[in-house]
Amino acid sequence: MIKTEDLKFKYPSGESFDFKNIDLKKKEHLLVLGPSGVGKTTLLHLLSGILPASRGKITIDQTDITSLDRRSLDRFRGQNIGLIFQQYHYVRSLTVEENLKVRQQYPKKLKDQERRHALCERLGLTPLMDKFVFNLSQGQKQRLAIALGLIHQPKVVLADEPTSNLDDINCSKVIALLQEEARLCGSNLVIITHDQRIKEHFNSHLLL
Amino acid sequence: MSLIFNVLLLVLSVSLVTFILQLSQQINGQLEKNIAPVDMVIGAKGSPLQLVLSSVLHIDSPTGNIPLGEVQKIQKHPFIKSAIPLCYGDNHQGYRIVGSKASFIAAYQGELESGKIFQKSFEVVAGSNVAQKLNLQMGSTFYSSHGLIASADVHKEHQFRVVGILKPTATVLDKLLITPMESVWETHHHTEAEPDNTASHPSHHNSHSNEEHPDHHQDESHEEDAHEHETEDHPDSEESEMDLEITALLVKFKNPVGLVQLPRFINEKTNMQAALPRLEIQRLEGFLGVGVKTVNSIALAVLLVSGLSILLSLARAIRERRQELALLRTYGLSTQKLLYMILLEGLFLAVLGYVLGWIIGRAAIGIASSQLESTFGYGLKVTGPEIIDFKLLGATLLIALIATMLASTSIFKLNISKILSDD
Repeated sequence: MIKTEDLKFKYPSGESFDFKNIDLKKKEHLLVLGPSGVGKTTLLHLLSGILPASRGKITIDQTDITSLDRRSLDRFRGQNIGLIFQQYHYVRSLTVEENLKVRQQYPKKLKDQERRHALCERLGLTPLMDKFVFNLSQGQKQRLAIALGLIHQPKVVLADEPTSNLDDINCSKVIALLQEEARLCGSNLVIITHDQRIKEHFNSHLLL
Repeated sequence: MSLIFNVLLLVLSVSLVTFILQLSQQINGQLEKNIAPVDMVIGAKGSPLQLVLSSVLHIDSPTGNIPLGEVQKIQKHPFIKSAIPLCYGDNHQGYRIVGSKASFIAAYQGELESGKIFQKSFEVVAGSNVAQKLNLQMGSTFYSSHGLIASADVHKEHQFRVVGILKPTATVLDKLLITPMESVWETHHHTEAEPDNTASHPSHHNSHSNEEHPDHHQDESHEEDAHEHETEDHPDSEESEMDLEITALLVKFKNPVGLVQLPRFINEKTNMQAALPRLEIQRLEGFLGVGVKTVNSIALAVLLVSGLSILLSLARAIRERRQELALLRTYGLSTQKLLYMILLEGLFLAVLGYVLGWIIGRAAIGIASSQLESTFGYGLKVTGPEIIDFKLLGATLLIALIATMLASTSIFKLNISKILSDD
């Protein structure tokens, strides 16, 4: 399902990263562990296609994303990849529900209200639907980030340090939610972190 | 905040441009309509512009009077199709009473709203504006005041009676009270000896005793010219007509050659002057045109500046929102889609600014209209959007489009990875 071969990225500054090959089967989950500065976020951005690889090949669901043109890549990403960022990103002028709608709007025009409400119910976002995102607490924002990463039922969910701002209890909760939602969608889940606490939740690890 | 300021700037420039355009267009249109029935005007010597302003547009003081006998000779000229005499003297509450013939009303396509055209002396046909402002009805009566501006100097001998009211024509007719010439002559026949302190009025005075001017007033010099030659100029006129005077004669030519020949003949060979309204108005517009052009260029400059400042503030807005734009890219939106969104925003602001500006421009026309009406008796019409307004809208949208395009170049080089991992 997800396969990388001989992946390398070189920053204009000269700094370069070589990545171990990844080979994930359908619905498989992977934890990528490593200290800061080894290119974890770079790997995540390469996998999502928002950063072009300097060398190597990334195949997701039989599509070689390194060979797609910009527009097709945008479309592919919108449909198949759910990104959960380390920093919370959202449209400031929109409410929680509107942000979710925007994520559902593109590119398939998939405006599944039931999906949205069910997901929000499970993530405890239902009472927050009409609030603006900047009024939410850290934990609420994190749950919204998960919802934004999963609402469109992507084939691959990529999460960057999803637990770094959370205490132990919330950390376990968030990981459980992520795994559960990924399982419900039948998605691959790739979590990139330096957080040793979540090691035990995953069977397959990749150390960078 | 800066975006609101930019829209305001746009509103200001659009309202200025539309206002000036409307103002000059309507004034030109009105002038055009008012001078159309008159190819040439004959009056007492003086400034030709003044003659046109007073006798065709009815806003300035007349240059003086001319003998009717003299005029009647000219009137027989084969090039002349029609000639309408005008006779000034009095006003009613500031509205001019013009002595003329029914053909004067016909020349401006005046139609009766009610009543009939005057047949006898002291019957009056009122223009629609006057009738409305002074609340004149059929059968209303009034006394005239001497001169052309409202005064306490009322002629109590003769009572005018309204016999007809005209429909609005959007010409000078609307602000005039029209009566047979005899009314004016008769009024002043009795008051001739009174000292005058206002603009000239036709009077039935002895043209041979021109050492003593009963009409002694601001147009003195022209009158003197006029009177000095009277004796030698019409020795063979009929006695009764020789004594009568009119203020001006409005001439329409049969043959355009008349435009070339007659004015020169009249100006050189008689003690009267002939002025061509079209020429004089063109001259006047030449003076005013500079002002209109200046204001227009200022307004256009403001429009360009507002385009430029929209460019700058949009560029900044895009920079401020680059995280959201990058996020939308990860949602699958292409660069083109983002560009389209920003263009839509820019065009929306432009349309908003234009519409507000247009409304303010028209409101300003409304305000200017009441000002002008009280000063000149001419109002302006607040009209709906015209072709020129759509052209201007097109220009505004084009400026906004270019500004937005230039401002949004940065979204082509959006480094999503970097933007989304920066704090």
